[in-house]
Amino acid sequence: MAEILIDVIVAFLGGSLLLGLHRKIMARVQRRPGPPIIQNLLHSLKFFFKETAFPKTASMPFYVGIIFILAVVWIIGVIAGPVTENSLLILFGVYAVYKIVEHNAGSSSGSPYGKMSCVRAVLSAATELPLFAAIVLVYAKTGTMNIAQIISYQGVHGPLVASVPLAALMFFVLILAKSPYSPFAITKGKDLVTGYETEHFGVLRGFLMFSESVAWFVLCWLFLTVFFGPISVLWLVVGLIVIAVITGFINATTPMLSPNHSVMTLITICCICFVGTILMIII
Amino acid sequence: MSNLKTIFGILLILSTIAILYALIFTIPVWLVYLIAIICIPLWILSLGFVTMAKPRKGDEEERVKEPFTGY
Repeated sequence: MAEILIDVIVAFLGGSLLLGLHRKIMARVQRRPGPPIIQNLLHSLKFFFKETAFPKTASMPFYVGIIFILAVVWIIGVIAGPVTENSLLILFGVYAVYKIVEHNAGSSSGSPYGKMSCVRAVLSAATELPLFAAIVLVYAKTGTMNIAQIISYQGVHGPLVASVPLAALMFFVLILAKSPYSPFAITKGKDLVTGYETEHFGVLRGFLMFSESVAWFVLCWLFLTVFFGPISVLWLVVGLIVIAVITGFINATTPMLSPNHSVMTLITICCICFVGTILMIII
Repeated sequence: MSNLKTIFGILLILSTIAILYALIFTIPVWLVYLIAIICIPLWILSLGFVTMAKPRKGDEEERVKEPFTGY
């Protein structure tokens, strides 16, 4: 239990700081001073002391329950990932439920912005395709879906990023799609205010930010672990910072795609990388 | 709103007891996972509802009747 608690706290603090760094980098690329790196963490904590209002049209208790489920799935993500280094399929399941939560959180408030975000969440499920394809390719290469065994495999054969780079690229596209202000973040487009989060104020927003910080940490950890093998804590931190820098730079310089373009781009990247990796494995 | 605080106050106490129980005593692994998955989010959510600010007396009715941003 102590290990789970420590990992959840590390995931929350680490994820918050990385999202803060991501925002800072975006600002610097756009020649703005930007908020301090710690701002995302302070925001998450601040919301716990703010007044919370429930919209008249919110369907209770679903409105609160769906946010609770979001936190539950990412706690499962921490347990299946950093704590037990279990199966990749559990993390695929976690990501699939996360998309369902996005969909239902949008519909639970009754707001038109939320409803539009709810519809887009269905389209954005296309991001699951690169994740699933990357998992399949990792299995094809290593013969296992267990993260601990994948790490051992890389200890013997070298990092997977060298042998299946296109699968790593596919996974990175998933991380990019999950990052804030991403060209693929159609559920939180500025035209929808903050999408499915628009009507979640105060405590609920703080709770959402907690889950998203944990989600960001788990996804980045998974990418580094599955494709770069057994790495020390220092290299893990370096890797997490590098991911924040790269995604921040891409997001700062790339406009948000329309929903159909976003889906088509993701599917195209997925198809090219999948076929390319299969060819690399065969040849 | 006071009912909400009471309910979440009770849930905060229950989740704290469950987490401490899993921390102190040796229990089956599946039970540890179950407590972690349910009680950690519940503890955070309950803490939030207990610590959140109350609306001022005059604003309380307005907060409840407030329609969402969309309209």
